[in-house]
Amino acid sequence: MKIFACTSCDYHSVTSKYTCPKCQQGKLQEKEVSTKGTVYSFTDIHVAPAEFAHIAPYTVALIELDEASVKVTARMDSEVAIGDAVDLKGLEEGAFIYTKAN
Amino acid sequence: MTNVYVHGVGMTQFGTFVDRTMKDLLLDACIQALNEAGNPKVDAVYVGNFMGGSIYNQEILGAIVANELGLGFIPTAKVEGACASGGIAVRQGVLGIQSGEYETVLVAGVEKMKHASTADVTQAINAAMDNDSNEKRAGLTFPGFFGVLANRYFFETGASKKHLAMVALKNRENAIQNPLAQFRKPATLEEIMEARMITNPLGLYDCSPMTDGAAAIVLSSKKSPVHVRSSAQSSGPTQMQDADDLLSIPAIRESGRLAYKKAGVGPEDIDVVEIHDCFSMTEMLAIEELGFFSKREGWKAIEEGRTKVTGDKPVNTSGGLLSRGHPIGATGISQLYQLVHQLRGTAPNQVAGNPRLALAQNLGGTGSYSVVHILERV
Ligand SMILES: [Zn+2]
Repeated sequence: MKIFACTSCDYHSVTSKYTCPKCQQGKLQEKEVSTKGTVYSFTDIHVAPAEFAHIAPYTVALIELDEASVKVTARMDSEVAIGDAVDLKGLEEGAFIYTKAN
Repeated sequence: MTNVYVHGVGMTQFGTFVDRTMKDLLLDACIQALNEAGNPKVDAVYVGNFMGGSIYNQEILGAIVANELGLGFIPTAKVEGACASGGIAVRQGVLGIQSGEYETVLVAGVEKMKHASTADVTQAINAAMDNDSNEKRAGLTFPGFFGVLANRYFFETGASKKHLAMVALKNRENAIQNPLAQFRKPATLEEIMEARMITNPLGLYDCSPMTDGAAAIVLSSKKSPVHVRSSAQSSGPTQMQDADDLLSIPAIRESGRLAYKKAGVGPEDIDVVEIHDCFSMTEMLAIEELGFFSKREGWKAIEEGRTKVTGDKPVNTSGGLLSRGHPIGATGISQLYQLVHQLRGTAPNQVAGNPRLALAQNLGGTGSYSVVHILERV
């Protein structure tokens, strides 16, 4: 997975920024890390906006990547609990779809 | 620096008003506030509004107010900051007076939501998220964000769904005494906990409603018994995955810190509070971020009843967004309406001991904006 790391401090993010928001000096540089991660938290969305109504209820999780201090928001393909090991299943219309790792 | 004082406040009933237009609600609140202020000469108008353009096809609200009230060809503007639109509009009025440009400013907030379908309103509210992001495409929603946050909060503390329900119940009990509140029907803890799930663990009562309503305030450099002791605003991450600490909303924390610093007071000095409880979870977190209680311990304060009208830090004596209602652009100003009445000793759920310092915190987005005003009885 492509993440962004600051050139002058320890800031990491899954989204790029013009300037590092932590030290406000460094620039963010692309870095490749494993997609494997752990569920930091989650919710099951029962009431969905019109565009997602056909798949409700569905689970959205905040995933902490194993190889960097980065969190990623993803849709799960099943229910999860905090602490579950997960991995990327694929991309769907710009969304990360994660699945429980065995 | 020029001092700013409150000269009048006005507020419509909050609820469902299919037969009242947005202009009607807006002018009603403005006229109440102007009458209370003794109908002074107004130098500028700011109107807080979020979705007038997207679901009501009505903009130029500032000019409409000036024209319909016959205020003259004075400068006006609409202010948009999602659910913080009202609070930010008030802050623009304060800054305009402090700069010396204006002596007296009318600030109003309004929203008309109940004429539209829930799907259309949900879609319009989603404009307050960063829609060009993988997070939005994953299907995260507004209540979804606070659901994720609540599950982590439960994981790290001793809190549970019961504590969220206690927040909702407290605010409902307060709203029952507030004649302008949207929801005045009693509810029980069991009812709240067993209500339809929206985004686990948040149920129906944990989420603020759709509301029609307006509120207004007249500010001036001329002296009055209610002083705007400080006004502060901050921004924060616009995406959940950008949060350094999920259990912190930096915009709330920072706007609070700045407001205390400018006022020269601390959280311990505040007598009565209106907080942006868009969700029960948000109130639990905000009372920590504003320094009223320690981090990760807001739930204990709720369990001990410390945020009730009779507690040592009364929060949302109006009923809060959850039960007073949440007409988005009006919310920040309706918080000040309640606090001005608390300082005058005329509020529903009047707190004991003649409160002197009152704090309002108004949030926009999932932490994109936060505004804090501290009012003082002088
Ligand atoms: Zn940096």
